[in-house]
Amino acid sequence: MKTMTPPRWLFALALLALGAACASTGPREGLDASQLPPDVRDDYALFARRCSKCHSLARPLNSGIDDDARWTDYVTRMRRQPGSGITQQDTGPILRFLHYYSLEQLRAKRARAMANDRAASKPPTPPAEAAPERTADR
Amino acid sequence: MRRFALAAAVAGILLCGLLGTWQARAIERNFAGSAQLDYFLVPAELKNNATPRSTFDGFTSEVALKLAVDVSDRLSANVKVCYGCHGFELPMAYFDYRVADELNFRVGRFSPSFGAFNVRHDPANHATSSKPLPYDMGRMLRWQDWNLGVIPSPFPDNGLEIGGTHWFADTAQLDYAAYAVSGFKGDTNAVDLDWSQSFSFQQTGYLVDNNARPAWGGRAALTFRAGEANDFTVGASFMYGTYDPTNSFAYTIGGADFAARIGRTQIRAEYLLRRQSFATTLQLKEPVASDAVQTFDKHGYYLEIERSMTDTIALVGRVDGLYRQGNVVVTSTLDPKAAIIRYTGGATYAVTSGWRLKASGELWAFSNDAAWGFRDGHPAYDQLELGLHLAVVGTF
Repeated sequence: MKTMTPPRWLFALALLALGAACASTGPREGLDASQLPPDVRDDYALFARRCSKCHSLARPLNSGIDDDARWTDYVTRMRRQPGSGITQQDTGPILRFLHYYSLEQLRAKRARAMANDRAASKPPTPPAEAAPERTADR
Repeated sequence: MRRFALAAAVAGILLCGLLGTWQARAIERNFAGSAQLDYFLVPAELKNNATPRSTFDGFTSEVALKLAVDVSDRLSANVKVCYGCHGFELPMAYFDYRVADELNFRVGRFSPSFGAFNVRHDPANHATSSKPLPYDMGRMLRWQDWNLGVIPSPFPDNGLEIGGTHWFADTAQLDYAAYAVSGFKGDTNAVDLDWSQSFSFQQTGYLVDNNARPAWGGRAALTFRAGEANDFTVGASFMYGTYDPTNSFAYTIGGADFAARIGRTQIRAEYLLRRQSFATTLQLKEPVASDAVQTFDKHGYYLEIERSMTDTIALVGRVDGLYRQGNVVVTSTLDPKAAIIRYTGGATYAVTSGWRLKASGELWAFSNDAAWGFRDGHPAYDQLELGLHLAVVGTF
């Protein structure tokens, strides 16, 4: 039987890492808050704090839900989870952010669809060999 | 053949539910899932190919698909199918009838409320590839010698649970649950529980109880909010049941947990103890009277600190362990006092929203005949092992 005596520098390193970790800031797996409109940032911050306690923010953000009624059901279900830390008062700001996020997702979806439509209706570009040589500029 | 038929039936139910999303908008459905592919390298296993494998090294995958349906404001249903090392599993197939936030009736197949890790058991919801040792389901080294941890998570069972949640002035949340379920299973002449009887479609009749006496238990937890970004949770859990067909032998499991969220740092700690009685018909290492009922205690614990460093990187550190105290069969590699202490350091990297890489290293210290794995105040070991995990996990 052998015993392990952890070197003191290991404790110092662990404390240093913990201190550095506690000093750093930044969201996680979510959205870049600086890119959000100022009036949405507080709502997003609350959403990120509450919803990342038990799971990745990707779960709600990638759920594909874009309907306010479904978001209400979703958030209500989460609020009732043991230890969720989500109060009735929290649901208002969280739903406000999810409403904004859904609209943004729908806008982006429409923009992509329109871009695809434009690309599909554009006449084919002529082959590169057919383009005239641009020697006159020299 | 039978297990494939069952798996196909469950997959069919999920598919029907999914397709029904476009056909019946009045009923709200939410489809979610996760998948983790983990590569577990154990250098000691590489060095000695003659040694029988004692762990699931190499690639393993865990896949879960879940459908939640809100039938009405009060009635909802959940179905979840998992595929992992144990084959197909049905960890959720239940209805919730909610009278109020404070009173909910859950009926069907579900994981009874025990411990704090239960709600994070999905690989997408914890930062390490492996679960804490008290809740291990097979990624631990020497899992056969140890017969896993204290209680696997998830541990789906058939039964009824009454629970609820109540807020006190937006500063404290009380959660409670009480349940009666089939309970764990084992043979009359066994020293320990036989998890395989409860785990998978591969076992005939795994959904059927082996005795008529339900296991029962409960949980209570209190969460305090301290400012906007901090909260603390303390909880306690309990479970009691008999596991053999004649109800001669019993297990009692208790647990206490603490969690703190301080800004972007999460600290979690749990302690579990299973005390179990067993028959003395087998030859044991320590001599006992032939008619005596033996007991053993299995302790499990973990302390975990997780911190998101940037928008993509999180670090996690964990110390966890098991300590078994009590007689064992003569063929066991364990002594009447046996311990594991594991040290884990890891990181996760969010490749994109919904995709994460997980990397972690584990140092395992195995010891026999050292209480709690300590000697003279220092961690003791007979053998050290190293394990390295690299995983990718996706979620939606």
